[in-house]
Amino acid sequence: MTRKKKKQGQSEYFFDYSLLFIVLFLLGFGLVMLYSTSSYEAAQKYGSSTYYLEKQIKATILGLIGMIAIANIPYHFWEKFYALGYAVSALLLLLIIPFGHESGGAKRWFRIGGLSIQPSEIAKICMILFLAVMICKMGKSIRTWKGFIALVLMPVPIVLMVWKITSNLSTAIIIMGIAVLMVFVASPDYKKFIVMGLGGVAAVALVVFYIVNAASADSLDYRGNRVLAWLNPEAYVSDTGYQTLQALYAIGSGGVWGKGLGQSMQKLGFIPEAQNDMIFSIICEELGLFGAIAIILMFIMLIWRLMVIANNAPDLFGALLVVGVMGHMAIQVILNIAVVTNTIPNTGISLPFISYGGTAVLFQLAEIGLVLNVAKRIQLKEG
Amino acid sequence: MLERGNRTFHRKKITISFFLCTLVLVLLFFRLVYLMVAKADYYAAKAIELHERERSIKAARGRILDCNGTVIADNKTVCTISVIYNQIEDKEAVIDMLCRELGLSEEYVRARVEKYSAIERIKSNVDKETGDRIREYDMAGVKVDEDYKRYYPYGSLASKVLGFTGSDNQGIIGLEVIYDEYLEGEAGTILTVTDARGIEVEAAGESRIEPINGNDLHISIDMNIQSYATQLANQAMETKQADSVSIIVMDPNDGELLAMVNVPEFDLNNPYEISEEMLLAADISGGDAENLSTEQTQNLLNAMWRNGCINDTYEPGSTFKIITAAAGLESGVVTPQSQFSCPGYIVVEDRKIRCHKVGGHGAEDFVHATMNSCNPVFISVGLRMGAETFYNYFEQFGLLQKTGVDLPGEAGTIMHKVENMGEVELATVSFGQSFQITPIQLLTTAASIVNGGNRVTPHFGVEITDSDGNVVETLEYPIEEGIVSKETSETMREMLEMVVSEGGGKNAYIEGVRIGGKTATSQTLPRGSGRYIASFVGFAPADDPQVIAIAIINNPQGQYYGGMIAAPVVRQLFENILPYLGIMDYNEEDIAGISLSGETGNEE
Repeated sequence: MTRKKKKQGQSEYFFDYSLLFIVLFLLGFGLVMLYSTSSYEAAQKYGSSTYYLEKQIKATILGLIGMIAIANIPYHFWEKFYALGYAVSALLLLLIIPFGHESGGAKRWFRIGGLSIQPSEIAKICMILFLAVMICKMGKSIRTWKGFIALVLMPVPIVLMVWKITSNLSTAIIIMGIAVLMVFVASPDYKKFIVMGLGGVAAVALVVFYIVNAASADSLDYRGNRVLAWLNPEAYVSDTGYQTLQALYAIGSGGVWGKGLGQSMQKLGFIPEAQNDMIFSIICEELGLFGAIAIILMFIMLIWRLMVIANNAPDLFGALLVVGVMGHMAIQVILNIAVVTNTIPNTGISLPFISYGGTAVLFQLAEIGLVLNVAKRIQLKEG
Repeated sequence: MLERGNRTFHRKKITISFFLCTLVLVLLFFRLVYLMVAKADYYAAKAIELHERERSIKAARGRILDCNGTVIADNKTVCTISVIYNQIEDKEAVIDMLCRELGLSEEYVRARVEKYSAIERIKSNVDKETGDRIREYDMAGVKVDEDYKRYYPYGSLASKVLGFTGSDNQGIIGLEVIYDEYLEGEAGTILTVTDARGIEVEAAGESRIEPINGNDLHISIDMNIQSYATQLANQAMETKQADSVSIIVMDPNDGELLAMVNVPEFDLNNPYEISEEMLLAADISGGDAENLSTEQTQNLLNAMWRNGCINDTYEPGSTFKIITAAAGLESGVVTPQSQFSCPGYIVVEDRKIRCHKVGGHGAEDFVHATMNSCNPVFISVGLRMGAETFYNYFEQFGLLQKTGVDLPGEAGTIMHKVENMGEVELATVSFGQSFQITPIQLLTTAASIVNGGNRVTPHFGVEITDSDGNVVETLEYPIEEGIVSKETSETMREMLEMVVSEGGGKNAYIEGVRIGGKTATSQTLPRGSGRYIASFVGFAPADDPQVIAIAIINNPQGQYYGGMIAAPVVRQLFENILPYLGIMDYNEEDIAGISLSGETGNEE
């Protein structure tokens, strides 16, 4: 390795200000939109219009401090914690069963003091680290069927726990998605992934077909009903289709130009907890199509920066860490916008850096810190 | 560092991943374009529908005024008390206050206050003072909306004519139904923007569409005449212990109805309260009245609201001889001078039909036969015409059609078909039996025969004015001229005047006034039940009728002859209303007396 040589020429190392700028922009924009979206409900519920904003600012500051700290810790430092991270994730998820805090019908949080922590958010970053290390360790055996299957099966226990214990299918899908993307990048093969992709599409089509043709809506669980509500939200307006339809009202009434910042009607309780998963619909309503395009472009730029860093990472481990983060951001943005626009059935996925959620923003910033450190290790070619 | 070979495929795959993600985001972008451009109007409209709460503002219903401009149907301000769940701060205080002020049970109020709804109505038609008091408590979440309620200052007077309105300002029966479109006006709306819990968003303001008040209806009824006629009807009903008494007063020249009484009337301000008369008639004592089934209640209410003059038919009996006589004269089968002989009965085919005078009236001319109301003579006249001719006159007189009076539910005439009208049927029809018509039909036909032969349309509505008094529409009614010749009409007037001055209608005679008329006593079906309808049709002055009236006493006890009990009712009515209408002046009695004696002299 040539690490020593690099250290001698610190000034030649690269700091990705573009990425930092994009993240700071998204955070700032997110806080403005969070305030706009949540102030009415916060004032009604807690008597303070900045209730959610304050909590989010605290988490953001904490996250930024964490990000700067992690950005200055060489990323190889984390390598040895891969198994610990996996174990801690599993343990925390298991501890949800006795100690979890229930909110909105699902047990997903720990409450420690005034803070609530979501173990599934921790599981995401731990899974990225774990797989990055495992892939590096495996080396060329990843090209064998055995190695491939072993890698794909590794995240499954955590995924199942997230799904079943916290009944959070969306996070389970995200973790599995991150894992598949990392394996995809690490493996030179395409066929397996094309087959996997086709198989996945076929399975989804089959499930939807089954649900649509089910004898009656009563025989389905709430996920089945969500699929039906997805296909025809206006027929399920009183229950499962309500949130989706309200989001569509918001998006549609935004039009091309939007109603103007702060002018959303749908945030006045029509979309419950709009500052969480549905915040993008309020962005559409207030800032219109152009505001929505701006946000999508910012996320594309974020993913692009992550791609550039991954492509130039000094080693496979660093590249895989960045690919994991990239997968995390991309999947979450795609799924969030897809849910809000009723392109896929409704499932709770937050929009990175923008949606309300302390743990999420904390760990997203930690991931960015990790990426920034990987970026720092990039040796400028002509430098 | 990555190996060179590895590095290329890793980079390639990372780049592929990036472009895949970007592709999906671009697809989502097009989805957004679809939603925010193509579907924007659709969803925006839906959203507005969701955000706007619409409250309607009732339009003030037009008033109804009598011919003197007296308001007989008006609006009074009442309040509707509602609660808004999300705005209530002190629930117990609200429940307590509403119970106390509105006199409602706590259980009832609590259920409504605690119901999770955007707005919940507690009570409507609360009088204004109570509403104002509740407003002064100024409790959060309690809403007092002012509203109009129909108010009838004369209570039960002309109840079955005026009718009343329902909670939505719509007419239920009577003139309120027929003239609904003029009276109702157009409700306005208040549009407010609210959040999901129904709380108004202040910044959004409210838009208002003002209501358009209804127009006023001016009717021909004169409340003074109506009031007096009602008094007479009540008096007759009481003294004769009759089931009901109806009086109609009409201007025979244009069909304007000056009064229409159907006692027992009901209280227009409490139309859903079954009157004691109705309960008595239905043999329901006070205790049972509480336990009536919905159907029973509805039947009783319908019976109570029924306008007998228009909705019910009856066998007119001898008053129908006016029509038989007019048809006979018009067809030429009889003249006033025609001579008849009444042995007390007449045989038609195999039936022996008796005259009401058992011994018979002996030899008499047609004028005296009319004065005596002699059945055999009228049967002879009917038989001379034959079914077809007689029937043609019915048609010509307009008897077979409805009168077209401006009240709902007018009953049609129930008459034999001409091909089924044999000699016996013809004979009975001639003196007013075996078929049924409404009182308004009889009166209208009689009026048309004595007014010079013009079939008028009986009506109440005269004109429509807006709230500033400007005439919006003058109501017009068809008059069919020449249903009988002027000569026949004049002969009829003279003959009917003889009936009152010297014949069976002498109880209607008022000294100094020329009054024409005809009595009737009809036995109701089934025959032999001992139930009679006594009636009298009278008009004045006999030479130039300005007013015509009918009094019908249904099932009188004791004396039941129309000439004995119905004629005096019309006489009393005329004694009072003729001076009032300026038709008779007691100071000119002598002149009237002279002219009267002169006329009668000629006829004899």
